[in-house]
Order: sequence, then C-alpha cells, then structure tokens
Amino acid sequence: MVKNYLLIAIKNFRKQKLFSLINILGLTIGITCCLLLFLFIFNEFSYDKFHKNGKDIYRIMRVGNLNGNRQEIPYVSAAYAPALMNDFPDVIEKAVRVMRDNDLISYNNISFNEKNIYLADSDFFSVFSFNLIRGNPGTVLKDPNSIVVTESTAKKYFGNEDPIGKILQFNKSQQLKVTGIAKDVPVNSHLQFDMVVPLELLKSSRPDWFTNFSLNTLFTYIQLKPNTDPALLEKQFGGFMDKYLGNFFKEIGQKMELIAKPLNKIYFAANAFDSVKHGNKKMVYIFMSIALLILLIACMNFINLSTARAAERSKEVGLRKVLGAVKKQLIGQFILESVLFATLACFLSIGLTELLMPAYTHFLGYDLPSFLGNPWFYVCIAGIITAVGLLAGSYPAILLSSFSPIESLKGVLKVGKKGTSFRKVLVVFQFTVSVILIICVVVIIKQMSYIKNTDLGFNKEQTMIIRFDNYDIASKGHQFKNELLSIPAVQDVSLMSGEPGGFHDSYPFEAEANPAEKYLFNTEFTDMDFVKTLGLKIIAGRDLSDQFGTDSLQAALINRTAAVKLGYTPDQAIGKWIFNTIRDSIKRTIVGVVEDYHFASLKDPINPLVISPGKDNRLALIKIKSADPGPVINNVRKVYSSIAPGYPFEYSFLDERFDQLYRAESRQESVLSIFSIIAIFVACLGLFGLASYTTIKRTKEVGVRKVLGSSVQNIVLLLSKDLLKPVLLGALIAIPIGYYAMNKWLQSFAYRIEFQWWMFALAIGIAITIALLTVGVQAIKAALANPVKSLRTE
Amino acid sequence: MIKIKDLEKIYRTEEVETIALNKLSMEVKDGEFVAVMGPSGCGKSTLLNILGLLDDPDAGSFIFNGIEVAKFNERKRADLRKHNIGFVFQSFNLIDELTVFENVELPLIYTGVKSSERKKRVDEVLDKVQIMHRRNHYPQQLSGGQQQRVAVARAVVNKPKLILADEPTGNLDSHNGNEVMEMLTDLNEQGTTIVMVTHSEHDARYSHRIIRMLDGQTVLENIMV
Repeated sequence: MVKNYLLIAIKNFRKQKLFSLINILGLTIGITCCLLLFLFIFNEFSYDKFHKNGKDIYRIMRVGNLNGNRQEIPYVSAAYAPALMNDFPDVIEKAVRVMRDNDLISYNNISFNEKNIYLADSDFFSVFSFNLIRGNPGTVLKDPNSIVVTESTAKKYFGNEDPIGKILQFNKSQQLKVTGIAKDVPVNSHLQFDMVVPLELLKSSRPDWFTNFSLNTLFTYIQLKPNTDPALLEKQFGGFMDKYLGNFFKEIGQKMELIAKPLNKIYFAANAFDSVKHGNKKMVYIFMSIALLILLIACMNFINLSTARAAERSKEVGLRKVLGAVKKQLIGQFILESVLFATLACFLSIGLTELLMPAYTHFLGYDLPSFLGNPWFYVCIAGIITAVGLLAGSYPAILLSSFSPIESLKGVLKVGKKGTSFRKVLVVFQFTVSVILIICVVVIIKQMSYIKNTDLGFNKEQTMIIRFDNYDIASKGHQFKNELLSIPAVQDVSLMSGEPGGFHDSYPFEAEANPAEKYLFNTEFTDMDFVKTLGLKIIAGRDLSDQFGTDSLQAALINRTAAVKLGYTPDQAIGKWIFNTIRDSIKRTIVGVVEDYHFASLKDPINPLVISPGKDNRLALIKIKSADPGPVINNVRKVYSSIAPGYPFEYSFLDERFDQLYRAESRQESVLSIFSIIAIFVACLGLFGLASYTTIKRTKEVGVRKVLGSSVQNIVLLLSKDLLKPVLLGALIAIPIGYYAMNKWLQSFAYRIEFQWWMFALAIGIAITIALLTVGVQAIKAALANPVKSLRTE
Repeated sequence: MIKIKDLEKIYRTEEVETIALNKLSMEVKDGEFVAVMGPSGCGKSTLLNILGLLDDPDAGSFIFNGIEVAKFNERKRADLRKHNIGFVFQSFNLIDELTVFENVELPLIYTGVKSSERKKRVDEVLDKVQIMHRRNHYPQQLSGGQQQRVAVARAVVNKPKLILADEPTGNLDSHNGNEVMEMLTDLNEQGTTIVMVTHSEHDARYSHRIIRMLDGQTVLENIMV
C-alpha cells in the first residue's frame, strides 16, 4: 500500500511541477536555516561539557555592588586559592588559578607577542580535561620553568622539529622548557589558550600578588570532592570573606560576597566582564525562534498550496473511498506525501548546508565541528522530517480525507469558504512574521547609524592606540611620548589608563559635598595632555597643566555628570576637594569640569568620571595631523622598536575601537537582515503559488469579464485585491508586535532613536511592494490573455 | 441480497429541502440484474449511493446480505463495501496518475491482498476484459470504451457479490456501450448481482427487471422476459 502511495506522490509531484518546486524550495530554505542554527546552537550548548570533572568544577567569583546593580566579578587575588584550600580541606579537592596574560615569547630569532598565555597552577591539566598529546597532566607544569604549548603554536615556533625539551624565552628574561604539547583547545571551551606557563613563575617578581587579598588578578577554579553540595560551601564563604577581607571592606565602605559559579554556567553568564568567551543565551533563543518561524512559513506554503489544489485531488479521494479506503488510510497517505516532501527537502538542505558551511563559519568567526559525524544531527533531521511532515501534512490530509465520495466523484465538490479563509489566515501569519522582521531590521539599521553618527563628545578621528602590553614600553612611557612628539605629523600624545570605549576602573571617592558618603566613580589616570589629545571641552575651571607644579598630586578634573552627582553646577564644583580613598593619600582639588563625553558604549549612560594625573599608564593615544597615516605609522613603529626592542609593534585606531563595542549588534543586524529576506522570499513563494493557482481557477471569469468590456487594469486589480488583503492585514498586525520587540531591544541602549511612523510605513511598503510584484505578474498574465482562448478552456 | 424498507433521504440547504428518497422500499435478490430508471432528479443516484454504502439514509431500513447496515458508521461501511461491492461509473473515474494495471490493482490493495496474488488477479481480469495489451498505459491514452473496460475490470477484480453501475454506457458510443453491457451480462450470468442506473431503454433491456422511479419513490416494476 505504501508503495502505491509513494507512486501516486511521485506522479503528482511530477505533474504539478510548479507547486512541487515551490514546496520543496520553501521547505529546503526553511530546513537549511534550521540546520545551520542547530549546528550553532548545538555548539553553544556544548561549551565546557568535555571536562570529565566538569560537574565538580566551580569558578570562585565575588559579588559586588556597582552603582546599585549586582555585579559578579570573576577576578580574585592569587591569595584566595591557598586560603580556600587551607580553610575547606574536606570539601575542596583542588584549586587552580588561571591568569591570562600576554608575553613576549622568543625562540632563536623568532619572537611573538603571545596574547593567549595562561599562567596557571600545576593542577591545570588534571582539573580541566584539555588533552595532552605529550606530557603527563599531573606533572607537566610541576617545574616552575616549564611551558606547555598547543599543537599549532608548537608548529609556529618549531616547525616540524620535536618541541619537547626545547627552550623558549619568556619576556626576554626567563628560559622555559617545553614539557608538554596540548591539542588545540576546542572551540567550545570558554578558556582559550595557546600556551600554559606555571603561575609560580611570577612569585619572585610579584610577591604581593600572592598575599594581598584585595587585588583583581586572576580566575580561581575549584574542584569539589565528589558529591559535595556547593551551597553548603557557599554558606561558609561569608565568614571566609570577613576573615581575610574584613578590614578592606571597612576601608572601601562596602562588602562583597563570594560565590561558586558552576563551570557550565560560565559561558552563558550575562554581562561578565572577564576576557573569556561568552555566549548570549537570549540571542541563541531569538535566532532559534526565527529559524523555526521561517520553517513554519514554508510549512504554511505547503498547507496553502495543498488545500488550494484539494479540489483537483478530490476525485482520487472519492474513488479511493468508494474502493474501500477509510479516512485513516487517506490521512496516512497524504501525511506520507508531506513526509516525502520533507525528506526530499532535508536531503537538499544537507547538501545546501554543506555548501554554505564555509561562508557560515566565516560569518561566525570560528569553525563548527563537522556535523556529519554528529549523531544528534541525525536526530535533528529525523525530528524535522517528522515535525514538518505532520505540521504541513495534517491539515491538508484531514481536509482531503473528509471529502464525501459522492460529491467528489460528481465533481461538484466545493472546497468551501472555510478552506479559503484558513488559507488567508496562514498568509496573514506569514506576512506578519515577515513584516516584523523587516521592522526589526529597519529599527536596528537606524539605531546603529544613530550610534555611529552620534557626537561622542571627543574627537576620535586619526587617533592611534598603542597598548603598553610589555614591561619595556610600560616602564619607558614618558620617553616614548617625548620621542613621538618629535615626529612632525604627530599632533598630540597622551598616556592614560583607559581609552574612550575601553575599560575604566571604578574607585570609591569621598567628596567635600558630603564627606560621610562614599561615591563610586569611574576613573581615568593620565597625563596633562589628555583633554587636548581627545579634544574635550572644559566647561568650568581650567585644564590640568604642568605649569602648576602641584597638579600631578593635588588636582583632578571631573565630568559634568560627576558635578551633578555631587550636587554642584560646573562652576560650583571648582575648588572643592575629592578623595580617591584607595589610590591617593591626599585630597585632590577639582580644578576643571569637562563636558560629558562617551567614554563607554552608548548602551550605558554617561557615568561620573574623575580624570586625574597618574602613573597608571596602560596605553598611549597618538593624535595625527596628516591625512595619510601611513608614514606616521612607520615613524611610530621606529620609535617603538627602539624603546621596546623585540616586541612586535601593534596598533589600532580609536574609531575602530568604538565599532568593536557594537559587534554583537552589528551581527544581529546582518543576521536579521538575512533572515527577513529569507522569510519574505519564502512567504512570497507561497503567494506566487496561490496567485498562479487562483488565476488558473478564474481564467473563465477573466474571459467573460473581458468579453463584457473589462479593462486589463480592472482585472489585475480584481485578481490582486483578494491576495493582497491578507498581506496588508498581516503587515498591520506586525506593527504593534514589531514596536514591542524593538522597543525592548532599544532599552538596552542608554542613547537611542525614537520610533517614527515612517519606519513602519517603510516595512509595510517593502512587504506590499514585493507581494504586489509577485501577485501582479500572474494577474497581468491572466488579464492579457486572449479571452477567446480562456473561454475555450472550459 | 438487498432489502430496503421505507428508506428516506432528504437534502437540505439553507433555503431548500429536497426529498430525494421518500419512503422507498425495494428488494434485490441474489443473482438478479436490476435496472433503475427515471427522470433526472428522481433519486436514482441517491439510491445507488445508499446501496453502495457511500451514503447513509435518514430513515428506514437497509438490509444487506442479511445485516442491517442503515446505521453503520463510515469505517464499517467502508469495510463492507470493499469486500462486497464493485462500482462502475458513467465517467469511468480512473485515477489519471496510475496505469491501467495500477488502477485495477487499487481495490486489492485496500482489501490487503498480497502483491504476488494481486498481480495474478489483475492480469486475469485484464485478460478477461481484453485490455491486457494496454496494462501499462495511462487512462488518458485509452479510448472511452477501453477506459470503461478498465473500470469494469477494477469493479470485478475483488470478486464482489454486487456491482453497482451508474449509467455505465452514458459516455460511450453504441458499439462500445453494447460491449460493456455484454460484459455486465456475462458477470451476472456468473452469479454477480447487478444494480444499474440508466437512462437508456436499450441498456435496461439487458436486465431482468426494471424499477422505475419518480420523486423518490418506485412507481413501476417491469419484469423482463
């Protein structure tokens, strides 16, 4: 019997080429979207699952209060790990500290500024299951002068030579012996390293790191003894913090808690400001829903076209019933047909996915594991075939199988009004989804362009960033600056702790306004040329200056928001004192107030900022005069190489820095654009099918109307009107939903555009135009046909 | 074989109520060949549909092979139908997408006959209606007469006790029409009961008995001699 069904299905498929192609094409596109997203999602949810001890591993994190918001701080001092091991020996099996660093690594004549070096405790490879190709996980880092490199890093330095036993130079000072080779770190690990060096190495140069509890230095992971409840441990953390940090808390005026975050929760942690890889669960879910919606739109095409064509199959249904088929068998037959479609589409999708893989991984920025070897992939395929088969097949199957055999054989069957209105509902839905997506894209594009064109309050053009990521350059910052200033094309140079768009510390301040209160303000430690280099505007008082010998220790600038926060107008703020309770030993006088500028992303409101002279220089900003930066860069490179020989010269530009802040949003923009194009394409595919079907059905009517004198325009209007109504309705329904969704999205920006009516009008206009073109082509074709011919078809 | 008493069937639309069968009673014995005649709209087709278990009566009794079937649900009717009744239509009603062989095979599929057995029986019956040479053709490649022969083959392949024919020669020329009537007569002679609706007095003469209907009732019965 199945054979007979298959036969009929295949023959029908061949007979109805257009409808079959529309169905297959739509389903293939929908399924491909789902497959690509499945691969992405599968990878996202597989993060850190490969660690054998995974369920017992936790990361120790402090929880602080940042401007009234709970903030988890992943960095703790190196003193925590031994203290934890000492205080909770029954619960904690092992503790591993991990510090990401960049260091200069040299071998013979090659040297690289390695940015993914982990300084870690010797248990690193026994707690985490990173595979070692060579070396013993338990002992590979025991020697303080050992180093483990990944396979590809080893290739980079040693080519085809055996790396084991080779000596690598670490920051031009220490000699490290390669003791192990790790397999390249899998994509789905939040920890990503190229080399691992024992943390012991730092003990001599930075002894304070290992005793001072108040520093933010590194991550600490603990492996609990099997079957330990972390909640019980966390309960004792309060006492632990008081024991080691009680005095510090009193000093800064606030307390911090300590928590143990499960390893598998780290990847999806929201707004964690650590430097490890993170995923955004919300985005994963949004993309997943959109892919499913596109698949749903494709299924609806199938439903629409099958039911529209139901009358044509009614004879077969009637006959089968006469011959003894019961409803169940007929439903089975039609569902089998849709399953067949889904299966065919799935095979095409697998091919298409394979084809799109290079472009897709390029877009994602990382390689996904091969999917053909992933058993879950096949589970997913089977799931899709079943779901699509049932979803797309059940309504047409039930409708078709309910036909009365008598009527269907007589050919008087009316696939009543019910079928038509159901089809319209589906079209409404399809276009609701499409228009929502277009609205999203319009709003995102508009918001992103707003962000890119907003005056940030400082001059970001032609400004180079050079990070002080090695000791040589950091220790000779001022020499570097002075030599740069002798380059004619260099206009200004300023050394600072954080560039606009980059990281700014927060410190507790006391202020004259209310000495009893602790104010948590962002800070910028810099030199006297900060305001000049960035082109900030002084709105009260004066700039910092070398002319006042006391400025470096006793003066500070604040931004307008800080003045407001302290309860002053800019002018009132001048001459008042402010005191950084941790960094400074004496109070500073506010000598000037700068106009607010966006030192952080536009997603955040401008926070209070204190700009004070300080030695904490982490980078240099170089303002360039000439329009062509090429020669200047070369000159800067020369200066850099003379001051920090051996270190590779790396630079970036300030305007690019800001683009990086919105990388996630840019990606959303492109993903949503692609999705909305696909959605509207698939929806129009169905509309095209419906249009061609209705025009065929109404050929005779068109003929009669033309004979009676109707114009071509009238007929086009007549034929288009019916199909465009649901499109328009769908578009209207999309407005409030699109508004709601994008309003929520915009809330994540402190600085955002307002909704304007034209955004919705544009989205609807796009959808209607495309739909009109789709329907119009068919309508015009029918309207232009010779009426004599169309009448003869009866 | 068939015993009908006070059968009623009323079709309702929003405005009109049409009485198709009005307390109709009749009987068809095993091995009989009965022709049903009457003007358009007299209820012939409704009667045939109910006899064929395609439709259910609103009131009255219908005993088929000694079983009361008037209240049967769709499943039961389908089950009874596929084992006992064969249909021949005026417009042949062959499935265009299937070949001659596949069309004739269809009833056997629904009664669950094994593939090898199906092949044997289909070939047998195709041979009988002399259409074997066309077994792999599609309906649209055949003449009307050939198509109806295939339809007859399909109707008898399951060896039904009863064949219902709805104007079987209506779409055929007289030569082909006669051929089909001969085939039905042959089947009847081999023991199959036949009920045929027809407008043609000529065709009716092949039957044993003519039931004439008007306004949903039988008005006259002619016994053919």
